[in-house]
Amino acid sequence: MSTTANPTIDLGAGHHDHAHDHDHDHHTLTGWRRWVYATNHKDIGTLYLWFSFAMFITGGLMALGIRAELFTPGLQFWQPEFFNQLTTLHGVIMVFGAIMPAFTGLANWMLPLMLGAPDMAFARMNNWSFWLLPPAALLLIISLFVPGGAAAGGWTLYPPLSLQFGMGMDLAIFAIHLLGISSIMGSINIITTILNMRAPGMTLMKMPMFAWTALITNYLLVAVAPVLAGAVTMLLTDRHFGTHFFKAVGGGDPVLFQHIFWFFGHPEVYIMALPAFGVVSQIIPTFARKPLFGYHSMVYATASIAILSFMVWAHHMFSVGMPATAQLFFMFMTMLIAVPTGVKVFNWIATMWQGSMSFETPMLFAVGFVCLFTVGGFSGLVLSIAPVDTQMHDTYYVVAHFHYVLVAGALFSLFGAVYYWLPKWTGNMYSERAGKFHFWWSMVWFNVTFFPMHFLGLAGMPRRIPDYPLQFTDFNAIASVGAFCFGLGQLFFLYNVIHTIRGGVGKAPANPWDSPTLEWEVPSPAPHHTWETPPDEALVKKGLAAQALE
Amino acid sequence: MTAATLALTQQRANRRLAIKLAVVAALMVGFAYGMVPFYNVFCEALGVDRARPELADTHAAAMRVEFDSNVAAGLPARLTALEPVTAGRAGGLIKAKFRLENLSDAPLGIRAVPSYAPERAGRFLQKLECFCFNALTLAPRETREVTVVLLVEADMPPELGAVTLSYMLYPLEENPHGEGKA
Repeated sequence: MSTTANPTIDLGAGHHDHAHDHDHDHHTLTGWRRWVYATNHKDIGTLYLWFSFAMFITGGLMALGIRAELFTPGLQFWQPEFFNQLTTLHGVIMVFGAIMPAFTGLANWMLPLMLGAPDMAFARMNNWSFWLLPPAALLLIISLFVPGGAAAGGWTLYPPLSLQFGMGMDLAIFAIHLLGISSIMGSINIITTILNMRAPGMTLMKMPMFAWTALITNYLLVAVAPVLAGAVTMLLTDRHFGTHFFKAVGGGDPVLFQHIFWFFGHPEVYIMALPAFGVVSQIIPTFARKPLFGYHSMVYATASIAILSFMVWAHHMFSVGMPATAQLFFMFMTMLIAVPTGVKVFNWIATMWQGSMSFETPMLFAVGFVCLFTVGGFSGLVLSIAPVDTQMHDTYYVVAHFHYVLVAGALFSLFGAVYYWLPKWTGNMYSERAGKFHFWWSMVWFNVTFFPMHFLGLAGMPRRIPDYPLQFTDFNAIASVGAFCFGLGQLFFLYNVIHTIRGGVGKAPANPWDSPTLEWEVPSPAPHHTWETPPDEALVKKGLAAQALE
Repeated sequence: MTAATLALTQQRANRRLAIKLAVVAALMVGFAYGMVPFYNVFCEALGVDRARPELADTHAAAMRVEFDSNVAAGLPARLTALEPVTAGRAGGLIKAKFRLENLSDAPLGIRAVPSYAPERAGRFLQKLECFCFNALTLAPRETREVTVVLLVEADMPPELGAVTLSYMLYPLEENPHGEGKA
């Protein structure tokens, strides 16, 4: 509904100054055909972004179901079985349905514009990558209504529980297969676009930081999405075809699943974090009016984080019983990741240092990101210490930690990205007052929701429980109030976006932020086809010089 | 080169890269399955305690026995269970080996004091033979293998599940406190 109402691309505009030497008959597609048969990177990017927003609202409603139940001790609204389905689906939907597709959508929309390419490398495959997502989401939603309900063993799908659920688990497994195939195709597309289709003069070490993080993220995805697919396939064959990968009765081992899952799962953490780093690295230099500090070290830090992310997986499972040597190895490797991450944080701060800063909404979200992501990073360091983790494992401290990096990290960067590029997408400026209100509202209620969870975890409250002892009441009540207010604020975000699409506070200039990257060289709104002839080298070099890369 | 041939070269290069990446993805599915045998080998090499089919078999009452070993403060000795976790069946025998080391350059007289958790498990585990029966004297730097043979009583209640058997080494000349429980 909202996708068809979205006049992001004015079909007729912006073509007069481009040479047409090939067939553009897909221009004439209107109505639903334009979206179902979409091969244009901007259309597909738009689809991805709206899809992820719909999933964000779905997963958010589930989170509110969780917080409503936890407002007071005792069972109010749900039976424990359904509560467990809520926590599981909330996790799966937010990770695979909201955050990941949102970043793929951003990459689709922005990479060709930023790199000076006419479109993504494989336009038809791009269509497939997107259109596998809605059926996957549908399978997850349907699974709530099958006998036995949806998967309820947590988003990590650990056996033996995941071997015992009803068909809801099978639907979740198929959904993950689809999501995995979609991710792999999307990644192949993004990597190929970045490596093969850059404008003349833009070497790899001169790409915008967002392109670098997209490149590395998608390498991670090609490497680990198949591992998850393998793991859930093993679950499936254990459930129905008599294999014993994870069944102790037949000589299998449930702990093996945890190893395979987290071999995927830890790089997955960076698949959600690295593109956020990229977005912030575009926004901060723009609003500090200084080139990004330490561009090369940013690239190397991103690559180091990606490589290290393959060597830390067992820190998610310190409590399964591992030789001390293994615990020490995973503990030290985990701590090592703090070094490149620290390099990034210091680079962002150094970029702002003595800059001529202004605080439009994208910048607010970027600075908010730097502050709160760092909090999440530090609680991650606390958890990396094996003996501490043994105490904190599966408590609310962990919940607080990963919501600081995923909500205040990935999600805030996405909000920042939307406000930053909305003028380019729609041709209209958003309301700065409304944007600022959205930021401060989210900032306050996010902390009200998640900060008390640190205390709950330290006091020993386990995650994934529908009921809890009385002493946890106060902090849970505070967190629940925060969650409902935070959720309400996101409807205001939807209003902001729609208001901007409908005309906002007026037309946006081609380069409202005076930013030197290439996407701002095309008119606003970005015409349906851009860079059909690559930008000439002088234009590329001008932008690079302004970023101190030339 | 004309624009058309340029586009064609580009297309070919794109396709080549896509195929390479797809091959990597396919290999990574294989990697996931490859982790299965690798995990088995790795656990064996490191002596990691695994989930065991004999314990998963619920038809016969089984008992998981874990050995814990400690040394009194300041005693220059080391006691290591060679198989820290094992399983026994009602009516069956469990044989466990320990490595006992004297870390000093002087002869060392020690006594091992056993204890059980949960305590009621003690009734269902009979020691037929134990290095804790006698005081032991180790030569300087001596390493010795010692054994324990346990009989699991046939009337062991199946819900008992697991028991930890702990040995604490004390020097001979001191009168060990808390002895007599086992």
